[in-house]
Amino acid sequence: MLLIPSLKSKTKKSEVGQIADPEDFYIPLDGYRNVMTPLVEIGNQVEKYQLLAACDGLFAASIHAPVSGIVKGTFNLNGKQFLHLQNDFRNRETLAAVIAMEEITQEQFAERLFEYGIEGAGGSRFPTGLKFKKNETPIKTIIVNGAECEPYLSADYALMKHHTAELLRAAVLIKKVLGAEQIVFAIEKQNKELEKLLLRSARENEVKINVKILPDSYPQGGELQVIKSVTGKELKKGSIPAQHGILVNNVGTLWSIYNAFFHSRPTIERIVTISGNRCANTGNYKVKIGTPIAHLLRETGNEWNPDEQMIILGGAMMGKAVSSPLLPIHKGSGGLLVMQKLRLESDNCIKCGACVDVCPQKLMPLEFVRFNQSGNTASLKDFNLLDCIECGACAYVCPSDVPLMENIFRGKDKLLKNA
Amino acid sequence: MPNMLLKASINPYLKARFSTVQIVMLDVVIALLPLVYVAWLAYGMMALQVIGVAVAAAMLADVIFSLIFLGKKDTLLDGSAVVTGLLLAFTLSPATPLYIVVFGSFSAILFGKIVWGGLGKNRFNPALVGREFMSVFFASTMSSSGIWKNNDLINTSSLHLFENSDTVLSNYLEGIFFKTSGALGEYSAICLVLGGVYLMLRNRISWHIPLSLLGALMLMLWLFGNDDVSFSTGGVLLGAIFMATDMPSSPTTKYGKLYYGMMIGITIYIFIIGGCRQEYMSYAILMMNGFSHQISLLFQPRVWGQKIDRKAKLEDVFMLTLKILAVSSAILTLYYYELIHYLVYIFVIYLIFKFNYSFSKQVDNTI
Ligand code: SF4
Ligand code: SF4
Repeated sequence: MLLIPSLKSKTKKSEVGQIADPEDFYIPLDGYRNVMTPLVEIGNQVEKYQLLAACDGLFAASIHAPVSGIVKGTFNLNGKQFLHLQNDFRNRETLAAVIAMEEITQEQFAERLFEYGIEGAGGSRFPTGLKFKKNETPIKTIIVNGAECEPYLSADYALMKHHTAELLRAAVLIKKVLGAEQIVFAIEKQNKELEKLLLRSARENEVKINVKILPDSYPQGGELQVIKSVTGKELKKGSIPAQHGILVNNVGTLWSIYNAFFHSRPTIERIVTISGNRCANTGNYKVKIGTPIAHLLRETGNEWNPDEQMIILGGAMMGKAVSSPLLPIHKGSGGLLVMQKLRLESDNCIKCGACVDVCPQKLMPLEFVRFNQSGNTASLKDFNLLDCIECGACAYVCPSDVPLMENIFRGKDKLLKNA
Repeated sequence: MPNMLLKASINPYLKARFSTVQIVMLDVVIALLPLVYVAWLAYGMMALQVIGVAVAAAMLADVIFSLIFLGKKDTLLDGSAVVTGLLLAFTLSPATPLYIVVFGSFSAILFGKIVWGGLGKNRFNPALVGREFMSVFFASTMSSSGIWKNNDLINTSSLHLFENSDTVLSNYLEGIFFKTSGALGEYSAICLVLGGVYLMLRNRISWHIPLSLLGALMLMLWLFGNDDVSFSTGGVLLGAIFMATDMPSSPTTKYGKLYYGMMIGITIYIFIIGGCRQEYMSYAILMMNGFSHQISLLFQPRVWGQKIDRKAKLEDVFMLTLKILAVSSAILTLYYYELIHYLVYIFVIYLIFKFNYSFSKQVDNTI
């Protein structure tokens, strides 16, 4: 079990600020395993909340205009498509009719989630509607995942602290739609003060919730880990929680659901923690989807200096280093970090076993390096490489800085190619 | 190397603080320092000379051989040579001739570490490898009573911690704190245990190996009688806490460590009743070193959400145990017919061969 000293204190106390809208938005046209087709053309005038792009198929996703403006075209960056929208700063809105929630069925609810472009805010970007598809086992437990185990991030914390009542209303709605038995808010021990807040708000709103305090270990926020801590069930990677009567939603997702069903607003913004060990002004901010990183850095008084720093989209453990300041915030980005560059050399593995001890999936990371380097894909498979959740815990503790993640990613590529 | 250039762009972007090879080694050195002090108390400058020469020679050997065989310049910085030198010295008599000590350190580094490909790649504990080389190539000196029966050289013979009481209990307690017999690292059971506790608190070793080793040994003594079993408590503690837990040569998984420690405990007992007078500890650990990787893999943790086939596992463990017992009787037989040195010769030839054909090509691999 890995304990990472928390670095949340940098941003935990900060109010949720608002980042001024940029002039140019680069709207990501990719989602969870799919690509969206633009529904607008160059030169079109669009209004805030207007549907810009959607895709069909199983993993359907859609995206809406964060502001009103003019479509400037699409472009490709690092193999991904983006739609360029120029802000006209006139804030003309278009909103759908308010949904009648009294008689909404589960199917309709799921349908709406797709329409409003709601994706897993925890980073996966899994289309939330899919979790609400009818399923043989009725959902008993709704888990609201407030375990934000990434050491720098406090975006979910800020939501729970400042928007408690809204989150509760969304949770109650979900419970009603699914006919579930209980709602469990799962929070980490280090955020224990939220328990009182949540329970008080629940009392005031006359709803019944449970609050489960989870350990501060990393990666406690992973879906499998949360399910185990709350229900005691250990689900194998790849199994579907709904088949065990469980539904897990991140607090950020819940916030989107609230906005969609209570205000008819599609997802166009989210809370992002801006922090890191080389960050000038840290804090939590409401940021519109499609806002380029360069704009965020400028607004918070940070510089883009690739020689000394790394800019990371997401958390320090599972986020991705960005290669271009034009890349935008997407629906799964909980953080933007300015970090010190890490050392590049590795020592030899000293077989300390630390990586094995901390692996939440109980794998043997050092052996993956061995098998990947010797090209032994059969053993990679036998030692369950595909069960790895890429949490980075093993690389975090390794005293020798063995390239564990590199070998894990490459090994996975080999396995997926062979399959 | 391509592996390394990628690092900046792959998660995680945060590292555990105070987690580097140097700090791991520094912790081991800190844990061993009280023993150096006790050795000095017992045999004065003489003890310090052996320890100092062993450490200096190990460091020198590390620099020279790393450069020649691995083409690496900065290996000294990792600190593992210091640990090897200290541990080697702790298995020696304070009266060991210094040139033999130098020979031991050089063999420990060369055959214990470098020809395997360097830090972390060795399958056997370097200090014990060095010690075995000394026993084989300087057999008569190393086992002569001349260097082991050295009461006249003692500097401080007892500490008198418990003034004016001469009860059985106080004598016993004093014996735990300080007892001037055996090798340099064996004089204080308390300091050995304290060092071990320190390493456990710092998370450098886990309790699994020392406890299962000692537990298994006690159990054997209790089950099969301990009348004609004599061994050095200090030696067993030194082995259990510092030698058997050597990271590269011991298993990486928790249950693997438990089994590994247990099997060392059992083989120690077998070697002792089989008539090994001095080398039982080294033989048991070195032999189990050979099985350590296999044990790691056999005892891998149960993967999240998966079931294991207990019956098949048990069968595997049973077969492995039989294999280990067979090898230990083979070693005992060799010992009995005084053929152990052939084992060392074969080991050297095997290593040279392996180094030329495979190990030298993987020097830059981190695993
Ligand atoms: S990245 Fe994979 S192998 Fe490493 S600790 Fe996480 S789950 Fe285990
Ligand atoms: S943590 Fe690093 S040094 Fe330790 S066993 Fe794993 S890969 Fe090797």
